[in-house]
Amino acid sequence: MDRNLFHVTPRGWAGLGLAAFCFAVLPAVVGSYWLSILTSAACFTMAASGVAFMYARLGMVSLTQVGLMGIGGWVALRLNYAFAFPFEVNLVLAALATMICGWVLALPALRMRGLYLALVTLMAAGGLEIIFSTFQFPNGGSGFWGVKIGSADPFRGPALAPGPAAYLRYVVVMVTLGFLFIEGHRRLFPGRAWALIRRSEAAAMAAGVNVTLYKTWAFGIAGLLAGASGTLLAGSLGLLDDGTFRSPESIMIFALSVVGGAQYWLGAVVAAVLYRVLPGLLNQWGVNADLAFVIFGAGLLHAVITAPDGIAGQIWGGIGRLMSRRKGGAE
Amino acid sequence: MIEVEGVLVRFGGVIALNEVSARFTAPVAGIIGPNGAGKTTLMNVISGFVTATAGRILVEGEDFLALAPHRRAHRGLRRSFQKDQIADDLTVFDNVLVQLDFTLAGGAAKRAEVMRMLDVVGLADRAGRIGAELTGFERRLTDVARCLVGRPRLVMFDEPAGGLSVEETHRLGELIQGIHGLTGAQTLVIDHDVELIARVCAETLVLDFGRRIAFGPTADVLADPRVKAAYLGTEEVAP
Repeated sequence: MDRNLFHVTPRGWAGLGLAAFCFAVLPAVVGSYWLSILTSAACFTMAASGVAFMYARLGMVSLTQVGLMGIGGWVALRLNYAFAFPFEVNLVLAALATMICGWVLALPALRMRGLYLALVTLMAAGGLEIIFSTFQFPNGGSGFWGVKIGSADPFRGPALAPGPAAYLRYVVVMVTLGFLFIEGHRRLFPGRAWALIRRSEAAAMAAGVNVTLYKTWAFGIAGLLAGASGTLLAGSLGLLDDGTFRSPESIMIFALSVVGGAQYWLGAVVAAVLYRVLPGLLNQWGVNADLAFVIFGAGLLHAVITAPDGIAGQIWGGIGRLMSRRKGGAE
Repeated sequence: MIEVEGVLVRFGGVIALNEVSARFTAPVAGIIGPNGAGKTTLMNVISGFVTATAGRILVEGEDFLALAPHRRAHRGLRRSFQKDQIADDLTVFDNVLVQLDFTLAGGAAKRAEVMRMLDVVGLADRAGRIGAELTGFERRLTDVARCLVGRPRLVMFDEPAGGLSVEETHRLGELIQGIHGLTGAQTLVIDHDVELIARVCAETLVLDFGRRIAFGPTADVLADPRVKAAYLGTEEVAP
């Protein structure tokens, strides 16, 4: 219902609380090593939210998300060195450009479903990987590709957020806006259309829903979020490396979104924490960070076998049971 | 008026509908026949989920076969399916509102219309419940409400009484009979419940093996010996 657009659920309050904590407390208490890891984790939270959204709302598996992040990052870097736009303009333009790429990807992909759709998106990720490793990311060189040998020219970060601590805050705000963007869609007419499409495409068509349009729209949103997160990642490091955007990373971010729980905001956060923070922890403890892959594998098995709603689903379920038990005990 | 003209549908070597023609003029018309007779196929041709090899479907003179399925809904076609099509994570209200989302009417007008139709089917007090919490009959009523909003011209029900109790079927029959007076739409009903068809449908089309074996006022059709032979399986009667 439209009048419920601004209603905040208990889980919503929890999300806003976590965002406030990440905004106010985290940047003040962690060192530079963790600032960079947490900023990167926040960027991947946004990317994971896009791929989880497509999976949870429409059951579509997209294995291009990290590749699309690369497109966003590439466009942002290209704009940064070609023009004197402020960071926010680059962010919006890169997100929009990536959204259009999402639509273009949707055109052939929408003729397929399930495994075949996943394969098409994986092939697109493979193609992007080759393009990135061949042409690299702009770093201030001349020409269209803008690549030069040697150290990169300076990247203009957001004027609002000088320094890594302020930048983490900036990214947390952007990620929160991304979640609100998805939630707003879910509560308005696209959310209704998506819910019916997931129920049955025939029923959606019978209710006047243009199935192709709404599926394309979903691809566009996932692209928009990927583009924005790629730009934020570029802003964090000042440069991008093609190794970040290889196709296995797209598979990883999708798998971790399922492990985290695709239908909850917390699921995307869990996915990004597993993806970025866990290897960082292992590194700090002097353990080989590849151990993270073993943990990911165990997590995936766990999700497939016992937790269809992911870790986030288990957390919310556990909290729900605890609350009802406490309520029951008080009566 | 709904005109079905020479509709031919083939699935590989099987002829699912063999040049079926009928001109429905009654406010509520029925389609009956044994399993596999082509009833649902005919409904799917009208909805656009199955493509006819030949033939025409005219709704108030407008050729529907040229339109994409969702455009037919925009032009006033509504239908329910054998299995209810209620999204579990949407409220009853949103499950009905989705039918109006393509229109450009104002939000307040849409909400008022949804509430009016939920009131008609008797779900106004449960508008805020999510689909997962509904009983089978409440889900069916939500389907009916979705068929009523947005000025429908043709409403089709595919076995709406499946799984319902006698009282629920009775209530559903009353609702179906009220559709024409409420919205001006014509209604087509497929059901195995001959009593329901006899009660609510003024005219009935009988299909068997993809052919039309009878069409006309329901009482006459049900008394037709060929219909009894094909549908009720009494005895073999030469055509």
